[in-house]
Amino acid sequence: MNTLLDPAQESSTSSVSQPVPGPRRHAGRLPRMALYALLVAGALEALVPVLWVLSGSLQSAKQLYKGTNPIPHPFEWGNFATAWNEGGFSQYLPNSLLYTAAAVLGILVIASLAGYALARIEFPGRGAVVAALLVIMIIPMPASFIAQYKLLITLGLANTRIGYILVLIAGGLPISILIMRGFFASQPRELEEAAAIDGASLLGTFWRIILPLAKPGLVAVAVIQAMGVWNEYLMGLVLFNDSSLMPVQRGLTNFVSADSPQQQILLAASLIAVLPIVVFYAVAQRHIISGLSAGALK
Amino acid sequence: MRRRSRVLAAWLFLAPALAVIALFTVVPFVQGIQLSFQSWDGVSLDTPYVGLDNYRYVLHDTQFWGSMKNAVLYGVVGLVVANAVSMVMALAVHRARRGSAFFRTVYYLPGVFSTVVVGVMFSWFLDPNIGVVNQTLKAVGLDGLQHNWLGDPTTAVIAVAAVFVWYHWGFGFILFLAGRQDVPKELYEASSLDGARGWAQFRYVTWPGMSHVTGIVSVLTLLSGLQIFGTVQVLTNGGPAGHTEVPTLHIYQQAFQYSEYGRAAAMSVIFGLCLIALACLQLWVSRRLGGSTDSRTEKGR
Repeated sequence: MNTLLDPAQESSTSSVSQPVPGPRRHAGRLPRMALYALLVAGALEALVPVLWVLSGSLQSAKQLYKGTNPIPHPFEWGNFATAWNEGGFSQYLPNSLLYTAAAVLGILVIASLAGYALARIEFPGRGAVVAALLVIMIIPMPASFIAQYKLLITLGLANTRIGYILVLIAGGLPISILIMRGFFASQPRELEEAAAIDGASLLGTFWRIILPLAKPGLVAVAVIQAMGVWNEYLMGLVLFNDSSLMPVQRGLTNFVSADSPQQQILLAASLIAVLPIVVFYAVAQRHIISGLSAGALK
Repeated sequence: MRRRSRVLAAWLFLAPALAVIALFTVVPFVQGIQLSFQSWDGVSLDTPYVGLDNYRYVLHDTQFWGSMKNAVLYGVVGLVVANAVSMVMALAVHRARRGSAFFRTVYYLPGVFSTVVVGVMFSWFLDPNIGVVNQTLKAVGLDGLQHNWLGDPTTAVIAVAAVFVWYHWGFGFILFLAGRQDVPKELYEASSLDGARGWAQFRYVTWPGMSHVTGIVSVLTLLSGLQIFGTVQVLTNGGPAGHTEVPTLHIYQQAFQYSEYGRAAAMSVIFGLCLIALACLQLWVSRRLGGSTDSRTEKGR
């Protein structure tokens, strides 16, 4: 609407404001250094504890219990092998990979179907469904986990993989549906209309044309949910008593309470529990950051 | 006919979502309210109604109300301290331009960790004997300041709050940064024409321009501060003597350690309703602020 006005505005502001940046730039050196000092301080605050744990996980028991020297001597790579074997991570890690993959896939399929219907098909009750999702989304975990546990016992799904996966899917759905709905609503309609004229079925159009175009939305949902599921702790704690089924966060606390491992082994175990998600973050951080904003702000 | 089939298709597309959400979220929520009027030991099939007994118990459970007080404390500290840090750092990164991708990645890194791992990390740092805090104090000759940080009620509460700030501020930072980028450039140009600088520009352009994001981040931070669980369980398990207890942990212990599921459900209802009220407040606030910023930018044009 104001594209016509914009060029004029810009040229007028730049011509008038040209004298202004001059003095500001001269005064700017010290503030600029202070700015970077602040940024670096923030980075250290975030990184040093992480690096400290990494250092501790590579120290010998003797070094770790004795002093503050952060350089491991020698590097005890064996701590990780010990943690892996004694901590039972060869079970927990594949479990968590399975739960994460299954829950995220389930959320993607179910949420994109629902989000599409809510964005594109007009039907009586649509507004009510959206309103209901907004209400359900605010039911917090502490308000329902006791009853969820009881329900899963009734259904014979407590201490089962499928029970845990279904709870995870149910938890992730409302926000994911709303994100997908917003995404579909912002897409142009023409392609679907063309496909409909060509006689494609609604499901066929959805699968072959809509979904591939929705990739950015799907990625945003997938990355936030993957992080949430990998780090989920409360339901994993409540639902499983069979350690061969436990996800990795629950496995970690199981290791602490059952074996009370030495500190350096426990640190190595913690890093094993976060390594996959940190690697994932390193690879997908752009999407994670935009996904977080999409989830919270839209 | 065609319209009808589209309506049918819509409900078919929605069916899996509605079924899963109804069964695993809505039904338990309702059953939780029901369970709060019953007695259940977690094993038996018999769940007799006990009227208001559970609520009467909870009313006099000082531990529970203490945990509610702690939750409010953690939530408010998060709200004030974590959000202040988040906003300052977001404005700084926005200003710096150079290296912003690096800083963004690093600042959110703690948020990628699980609450359990964060608990493990900080229980080591704060350990009275082998923790880096006490070891450093000793190394620099300040032995006198050494302290059993997690064993003293006052410092334990402060420690939990500090750990929450460390863990959480990156999240607010990401949202504030996105919010800052959405404040129209023209507003800054216009305000500098009017001679506004530094603080005035923040006060009259940045702050109102970001009020929508600030509203959302505030309530999200408050809500997650109130719901701290994993970190506290690992760091202190609510101790010493329940001084760092949080509601979720207390509910968990009532149910899974003392087998008082009815009482736990009553606490869930009370705590849950508080959280829901807050979340509703968020919806209301963000609607209102969203509306007012929109109208303000409209007027500005």
